[in-house]
Amino acid sequence: MPDLVAADFVVIGSGIVGSTVARKFAQAGASVLILEAGPRVTRAEIVARFRNSPRRSDWMSPYPPAPWAPHPIYQPESNNYLVHAGPYPYEAEYIRQVGGTTWHWAAHAWRNVPNDFRIKSLYGVGVDWPFGYDDLEPYYQEAEELMGVSGAPNTGSPREKPFPMEPVAEPYAMRRIRERLVPAYEVVTNTTARNSRTYDGRPACCGNNSCQPICPIDAQYHGGLAAQAAETAGVKLVPNANVYRLDHDERGRVSAALYYDPDKVSHRVAGKVFVVAANGIESPRLLLLSASDKFPRGLANSSDMVGRNLMDHPSTSLTFDADEDLWLGRGPQSPSSIGIMRDGPFRAEHAPYRLDFTNISRVDGATNALIAQGVYGDEFARRLRYSAARELNVKNVLEVLPDPDHRITLSDQSDPMGIPKPETHYSIDDYTRKGHERSQQDFRRIAELMGGSNLRFSKEGVYANNQHICGTLSMGSDPSTSVCDQWARAHDHENLYLAGTGVLPTCGTCNSTENGLAVALRTAHHILAEHKVGRVPAPSGSG
Amino acid sequence: MSDQNTAPQNEANSPGVTRRCLLASILTTYTASLIPWALAQSVDDRDQGAFLAVSAIIAGRQTLDTHLAKRLYDALVADDKNFPAMAQQLLTLINTRKIDPLHLQRVLDTEKSPLAGVPRAIAAAWFLGIVGSGAKARCVAYEIALNAVIVSDVLKPPTYAYGVYGSWIAKPL
Amino acid sequence: MTIMRFNVRTWRCTVGAIVLAAAAWVSVGVFAAENPDAALIERGRYLATAGDCGACHTEPGGKPMAGGLAVATPIGSIIATNITPSKTDGIGHYSLEEFSAAVRGGIRADGQRLYPAMPYTSYAKITDVDVKALYAYFMHGVEAVDHKPAETQLPFPFNIRLSMRAWNWLFLDPRPYANDPGKSVEWNRGAYLTLGLAHCGACHTPRNILMAEQNSRLLAGADLGAWFAPNITSDDNSGVGAWSVDNLIHYMRDGHARAVGQAAGPMAEVVDHSLRHIQEADLRAIAVFLKTVPAIRDNTDIKPAFMWGAASDAFSTIRGVAVPTDRDQWSGARLYEAYCATCHQAQGQGSFDGGLPSLFHNTALGRVDTSNLVMTVLDGIHRKPDVNMPGFASELTDRQVATLGNYLMQQFGNPAGKVTVEQVKTSRAGGPSGMWMIWVAQLIMGIVLLAMIGILYVIWRRVVSSDKRAA
Repeated sequence: MPDLVAADFVVIGSGIVGSTVARKFAQAGASVLILEAGPRVTRAEIVARFRNSPRRSDWMSPYPPAPWAPHPIYQPESNNYLVHAGPYPYEAEYIRQVGGTTWHWAAHAWRNVPNDFRIKSLYGVGVDWPFGYDDLEPYYQEAEELMGVSGAPNTGSPREKPFPMEPVAEPYAMRRIRERLVPAYEVVTNTTARNSRTYDGRPACCGNNSCQPICPIDAQYHGGLAAQAAETAGVKLVPNANVYRLDHDERGRVSAALYYDPDKVSHRVAGKVFVVAANGIESPRLLLLSASDKFPRGLANSSDMVGRNLMDHPSTSLTFDADEDLWLGRGPQSPSSIGIMRDGPFRAEHAPYRLDFTNISRVDGATNALIAQGVYGDEFARRLRYSAARELNVKNVLEVLPDPDHRITLSDQSDPMGIPKPETHYSIDDYTRKGHERSQQDFRRIAELMGGSNLRFSKEGVYANNQHICGTLSMGSDPSTSVCDQWARAHDHENLYLAGTGVLPTCGTCNSTENGLAVALRTAHHILAEHKVGRVPAPSGSG
Repeated sequence: MSDQNTAPQNEANSPGVTRRCLLASILTTYTASLIPWALAQSVDDRDQGAFLAVSAIIAGRQTLDTHLAKRLYDALVADDKNFPAMAQQLLTLINTRKIDPLHLQRVLDTEKSPLAGVPRAIAAAWFLGIVGSGAKARCVAYEIALNAVIVSDVLKPPTYAYGVYGSWIAKPL
Repeated sequence: MTIMRFNVRTWRCTVGAIVLAAAAWVSVGVFAAENPDAALIERGRYLATAGDCGACHTEPGGKPMAGGLAVATPIGSIIATNITPSKTDGIGHYSLEEFSAAVRGGIRADGQRLYPAMPYTSYAKITDVDVKALYAYFMHGVEAVDHKPAETQLPFPFNIRLSMRAWNWLFLDPRPYANDPGKSVEWNRGAYLTLGLAHCGACHTPRNILMAEQNSRLLAGADLGAWFAPNITSDDNSGVGAWSVDNLIHYMRDGHARAVGQAAGPMAEVVDHSLRHIQEADLRAIAVFLKTVPAIRDNTDIKPAFMWGAASDAFSTIRGVAVPTDRDQWSGARLYEAYCATCHQAQGQGSFDGGLPSLFHNTALGRVDTSNLVMTVLDGIHRKPDVNMPGFASELTDRQVATLGNYLMQQFGNPAGKVTVEQVKTSRAGGPSGMWMIWVAQLIMGIVLLAMIGILYVIWRRVVSSDKRAA
């Protein structure tokens, strides 16, 4: 098969991280190619599909998988693309299309707190990162200015420079929660990539309350915008290119990416530097698929760590009825949280966590519950209004420690293209479970302070998956226990870099996109300097 | 019932016009007492009449959009061709046993009635705008589904803007 | 003989006294010129805001009044000059008389005529008192910028500024505004502002073939390239007769009047730079005056533009129907739902407080001419402080804009208004081309020249033949 355009940089994956990194290379003057497994899509189509959906609470329903590059679907039935070997399923949702999964996120954009980088040294659990908060700080700033991030000041992550805009206006319901929880709990406005004013020409939030699955007006940053910006900067983006293998030369340098188009015709792309940014499950999958005689365990895997240390932020929650009318559903979906349990000496004993207050409208959920209970007639309207006005929900976002037995492997089942499916091996360990138990105290206290009744805890033993796929390509200084170095360069291959949340060696308590993006920006800066591409601009956040 | 959104049809000239009747004519005193506001509504035939009557009982004191009623009815029939017969049987059951809407589902479930799914289907159709289940489920209405209408003085349905930036700060009236 | 009585000393003292007095007067004058009354400067600033000088003379993102903005006209771009007090590149060397001649008479200090893109025919109405204040502001309230913008180069024959003399003779009324004693103080203030500083007629009054405002059709509406400035006479259907004074004030001050309409495109800029800074009493005066401007009706307007439509939707045609993959196949309802309904709501009713406006009872959809609707869909609406309706030019094809436009007009607006694909194409390009004016003008010049040559030839022939006879 003939070589396609040989580019300086070949990036696998057009999500928020892959697109941003590709854009930086193009801005420095390099030739860049992105290979994206899925199709192009427009915001308008996603909005139309959501409103037409018979399963509005299934946030994947506006994102039908492409048959040649499926992603996991769980409703109305599981498509079994992601195979779960257990003992606990890792039912992540992710999107394989141009722009990736952040089309449908809640836009949380927290930084780690400084101690998150050193939990082994400080608390004797997990691992230390190969660098510290201060090393990442300028890249956090750059990520925030790129996306348009704002939040409450002083939430544990020190800043050199202010946020690019003011925090998003606080909904009435959240204000009441904040007022009633003081002084027991400080409720803060979330740090989010959501506009509180026009930013980059995109409008401010108008309270569509549908951040997940789609912001209809792009008031929230997402990978689709990053992909668009990459193409504007000169990146060549090839959609419907399902990369199934990376080839290498006799020295172990990655030489080419092979992909299938939707007709399963194979194409080959050569490049000087390869960046795998295909999310925390598809990236290790690709490396494992690229096994060869020289690298029988797959690329970048002499340590046998590729795919291991799979982490997420599991959640449990409490739903209850407050004693006053609050009306969730006015404003953005995820405006406020409590951060006091993100760090502390207790981390030696149990998982830390954030406590998130949802502002997602209760209407559909309450409707389903009332129909299930057979509530009809006048009573239905009365009870629906009551629930819509009073029902609250608080959930935890728990840290998971890296455990090599929690991993992504290749299944013996294959997808429609004949490529082995990804398989998850996962469980919830004691550390996390104890964090969950400790959080129940907070749940009860919060309900009490809100005059709560009709307390409904999430089912014991059931932890919701938050799609924060970390750990599977862990950074580290020791090549025997990590996949890549502090610059996310694979220990085994000098021209292979990894980008995305998979490189994060611990997951902390914050949604992983900001971390993944900042680390990738640091990597990109390093790559440009190393490979002497064009003029290497200082990160915009540096002092 | 509101008839301002009646789908434009030339019923007077279509065959079967003799089946057209007032809802009141197909209800007993009991069920009529449940939905007094609906009695003057005219319906195309007894099947749709039964559906409309059961809908009015399940939906409570609402004005039911007749154009939407027709679309939901057509969707329910397309999903299950026995639906009209079952709706008739359910109406008869409610009539003869004078079942209160609040007890209806419990009675049907306890008795393992073959009609147990009918009120749920009608409720899902009107309250959620969704007909059918699993892979066959279809959204027939979203913005005008009753659950959106019931809270429409305070909330907009998700994906629809609440208002200009910051408008959610104020206490809802 | 008596003169000899002046001795030199007296003469010297007298001259000295005169010189001192003169020096004192000059220095007082200079002092006054360098430290004029701060109140006068502020008054001048307010008047300059009302006159919206910055609209043309300040480039977006550029230094105030430093010029450089290319004003698009049907016959080419006219580049606004630097009117900062720079002595080398601006008007720093202008006297009050020269300033007045430029602003009110269209004559530059070097004697060259200005093109009427500078609305001096409106500014001619400014009173002497106000011109003084404006002068004070421009000399002392604006920072001097030493940068000369590019010169205006219009195609022949429009580059002959001398032709403006004839034009001015025909169309310039040089008299400042004089109060009508039969009308209230408020009405006169409104007339003065509307006809003078605010130069509303420059956009809203149709122009004749020589591009002069038609005074008989004052404020009856005119085309502005891809946009049009609507009829704002007192006619109920075609104009603003049915608007309340409060509607008009809100529109001017806030850029929108609930359940009436909103300012977009060029008018949004007027609100941003000028009207929202004007005192409410002055806005009221303008509104009061507007509602007395002689009504001019277009008979295709059968009711006020803001009274069309009602809440409605055609979503039953798309609910439960799979979303087509080819977006050029999307119906108007589907396009509306995916691109517009998010803010304007499923039935066009807008947000609870009207901040995201309803589409029915909205002048945007109330007119048979749909140019402004198309431009709004393409460009969006952007007003200060942070009004941002995004434009859809990069997301929608011409066909989609036309389909959507027709849905909007049928569903929420005046069903007589239509949108065509050709129209959308033209609007994207900035409106109909004005090239024809250049060709017509050149053709006329050519014909006149030929006629003159012909006449001269005939005369020459006669002279020759009479010479022959004489010989």
